[in-house]
Amino acid sequence: MLNIVITNLWRRPARTVFTAAGIAVGVAMVVALLAFTRGLQKTAAGFVHLGGSGLGVFQANVSEPTTSLLPASLVGRLQKLPLLTRATPLLLVVEAIKAEPAAIVFGAEPSGFFTKSLVMVEGAQAPGGARAALVGDRLAAQLHLRAGGLVTIKGRSYPIAGIYHSGIYFEDAGAVLPLSVAQQLTGHPGEETDVVVDLAAGVRASSAGTAIERAVPGTRVITDPEQALRVGANATLISQAILVIVVIALIVGGLSVANTMAMSVMERRSELGLLSTVGWSPARIAVLIFGEGVGVSMVGAAGGLLLGVVGGRLLVGALGVSAYVSPAITAWGLGRGLLIGVAIGMLGGIYPAWRVTRMTPLRALAGT
Amino acid sequence: MSPAAGPEVVLEGVGKRFGTITALRDVSLRAAPGEAVAVTGRSGSGKSTLLALIGGLDQPDAGRILIDGRAVWTERHDARTRRELVGFVFQRHLLLETLSARANVEVPLIGAGMNHRARRRRALELLADVGLAERAEHVPAALSGGERQRVAVARALANEPRLLLADEPTGALDTATSETVLDLIFQLRDQRGMTLVIVSYDEAVSVRADRTISLLDGALATAPA
Repeated sequence: MLNIVITNLWRRPARTVFTAAGIAVGVAMVVALLAFTRGLQKTAAGFVHLGGSGLGVFQANVSEPTTSLLPASLVGRLQKLPLLTRATPLLLVVEAIKAEPAAIVFGAEPSGFFTKSLVMVEGAQAPGGARAALVGDRLAAQLHLRAGGLVTIKGRSYPIAGIYHSGIYFEDAGAVLPLSVAQQLTGHPGEETDVVVDLAAGVRASSAGTAIERAVPGTRVITDPEQALRVGANATLISQAILVIVVIALIVGGLSVANTMAMSVMERRSELGLLSTVGWSPARIAVLIFGEGVGVSMVGAAGGLLLGVVGGRLLVGALGVSAYVSPAITAWGLGRGLLIGVAIGMLGGIYPAWRVTRMTPLRALAGT
Repeated sequence: MSPAAGPEVVLEGVGKRFGTITALRDVSLRAAPGEAVAVTGRSGSGKSTLLALIGGLDQPDAGRILIDGRAVWTERHDARTRRELVGFVFQRHLLLETLSARANVEVPLIGAGMNHRARRRRALELLADVGLAERAEHVPAALSGGERQRVAVARALANEPRLLLADEPTGALDTATSETVLDLIFQLRDQRGMTLVIVSYDEAVSVRADRTISLLDGALATAPA
């Protein structure tokens, strides 16, 4: 049976290749988007533990964590909670450095644990009140910046007091300004994006999160990367887009396979009639047609997986986020792509297989 | 006629229409177990339709057909009946062009669920029986017309049928090749004791058959014995 499936697919190689290519594109899109989402998730993990914190407190119901705005008074309220040992506010400024739009500028209190956790590799932390910037070593290397030089943030130049390393990707690929300077720069005096906190020993992040959200209504606590993704409307949109693309891929791919297999069935009526004549049951002939549909889809899915791996990298490049999102290919992501490919073949094979079971052998043999 | 392993074939008042055309009218006949019956008649007289109905390839509109007392179609065992009981040879060989001679002979055995190794062995035996052992791995395009028809005969015998239905098996062959193929069919029928119903214009077929019936405009022109 397998031999016949393979030879039948190979009988019209161009048709098989074009059908498989269509399926490959659908599967590749799914794989690439899954890889992109997984990359976003890893990126989000970096946001959760900024400054080595246990969790982050954001404004609830925002389209994106970076658009959160909290009042400065919140830090004091949080510090009174017994579950927490320390808290410090952060103001995240995105697309602030023209030469590297992916870099994030962190507005942080010079005396807060976020700033204090930075290890200086060149220069030193600026004295309190200074309007100087600290630059992460990744960004410094990228833009050839040095302590004592200048960095332009939102069109204004700031002296670089030092170059730091924190071990957290976003921090090292960004810069730090004193919180008050960042607030003034963005026109948000007295506001911050989030408050990063450390938990008391033995306190679980999830229970602390629940307690904080209950104590401070209107906040959303992010304790893990999955949660960070769910909070952001953009990430939610991407997840929904993947679902839509999967459905479209199934419909378009399924129709494509159905069309190909229906044509094949029409062309091969006398051959299928012969199989019936020599005793093949309608079910077995249907399995043959169904198998050919699944076979072409498997070929397409295999190509789609390869294309998806490449497409994931192209996607982050096209979206201009390659600096902070790396597509992450996982076995489950590839598995889902393969499953979708097989599902396309199964969906597309149903109608032609059903048609075969409706033919009488005599009419099929006559090709009518 | 050899000791019969073939089934008895009985047609009772069989009729078939295709739209407004009456292909068969009230045909009744009986082929005894192991008998070779030749069916003759002009083009369009209903010979091929008769054969197709006996083989369960289509459903009669009237009457019934019994093979060893088992009704064809009405019990809805048509595919199984063909698989277990009937072998077909057509004027066109109807070989699958992408498969080798051996693989073509294996096709009915796939339908019967036989495993790969047993299929291969049986196909090679059958190809040897029809004198094509050396041509087993050739595709149909590499075989002559006579060789293709011999492969079709081997395929018809794959499931060890007790009833062989041949529809003008030599219609597309030259005289010498026709003789060879007919020799083969009747020789195999004698060896295996199959019941044979063979449609042909060829006088040589009638000479070899145990009995000849003739159809005229869908009805029997000669009374069945």
